Amino acid sequence: MSQSLRPYLTAVRYSLEAALTLTNFSSQEVERHNRPEIEVPNTSAELLLQPMHIARSETEQVLIEPSVNSVRISLMVKQADEIEQILVHKFTMFLEQRAEAFHILRRAPIKGYSISFLITNKHTESMKTGKLVDFIIEFMEEVDKEISEMKLFLNARARFVANEYLGEFVY
Amino acid sequence: MSDWRRIDIDAFDPESGRLTSKDIEPPYPSQVTLQELSTKISQLRSLASSGDAKSAVALAVSDPPYSGDESTKNEYFKVVLETLSNVRQADISGIVSGLTPIQQDVLVKYLYKGMSIPEGQKQGGILLAWFERVTQVAGVRPVSHFINDRNTV
Repeated sequence: MSQSLRPYLTAVRYSLEAALTLTNFSSQEVERHNRPEIEVPNTSAELLLQPMHIARSETEQVLIEPSVNSVRISLMVKQADEIEQILVHKFTMFLEQRAEAFHILRRAPIKGYSISFLITNKHTESMKTGKLVDFIIEFMEEVDKEISEMKLFLNARARFVANEYLGEFVY
Repeated sequence: MSDWRRIDIDAFDPESGRLTSKDIEPPYPSQVTLQELSTKISQLRSLASSGDAKSAVALAVSDPPYSGDESTKNEYFKVVLETLSNVRQADISGIVSGLTPIQQDVLVKYLYKGMSIPEGQKQGGILLAWFERVTQVAGVRPVSHFINDRNTV
């Protein structure tokens, strides 16, 4: 792990550990409803806690928004050029379409971020909290690697295709 | 009034028990202004320029202007950020372990604030280095205090 990545992931780990203390909480507005308080508008302010921004640079950030029964984690994946923008968009869209199988993944990222997770008290009750934190950290590590790998592969493929195609016209 | 069924009537009821973010702010006896802070700011600058990083950081994170308005807080934060970024990497551990638990909590508040605004995000590496040292010394405690504290910096 690189020297600058480690403090970033440590900060995310500690912030998540502090935020993932969730409890079952029924809605105060609607009877017999139980909904993630971070997601509903018009909610009472006392149920929301201080949001945490963790930034490695202007293009690489995490936003953790805790509330009494849910935590929303949004990642901004580093996108240095247009190819990476497209790759990140495609990659996160691919995952989001399969959000059902992922449990904690949110179907759409919040504005300005690449991908969002929503962890509710149901998840922390049925899964180990430590493992959830580990998963988020591992995801952050892997996604950068994956994107740069895909970019290399794409460039190599484009070069090969261009060679083959334009080779026809060389005499 | 075609859409009257959708009007949220509870919002108009003063006894509905709903709280807005204004209601949960702790009550402050008086509001700190930038003039009152100016002596502290100049003190911080002179400490930083004389190279006494340890007492500069300790002064910066004691008695922060909780009751000030946004612009006051931002002005003060700029000075804090300057102080923090002037410290050498090797000195950070020593300074953090010399702080009291309350000062560590305030330091974490400033670190999170820094990472939420563009000025601080440019120095993300420095703030993250501070954050890592704080967690090495104090663990998860200052972070959970930050989440639950309604006093913002």
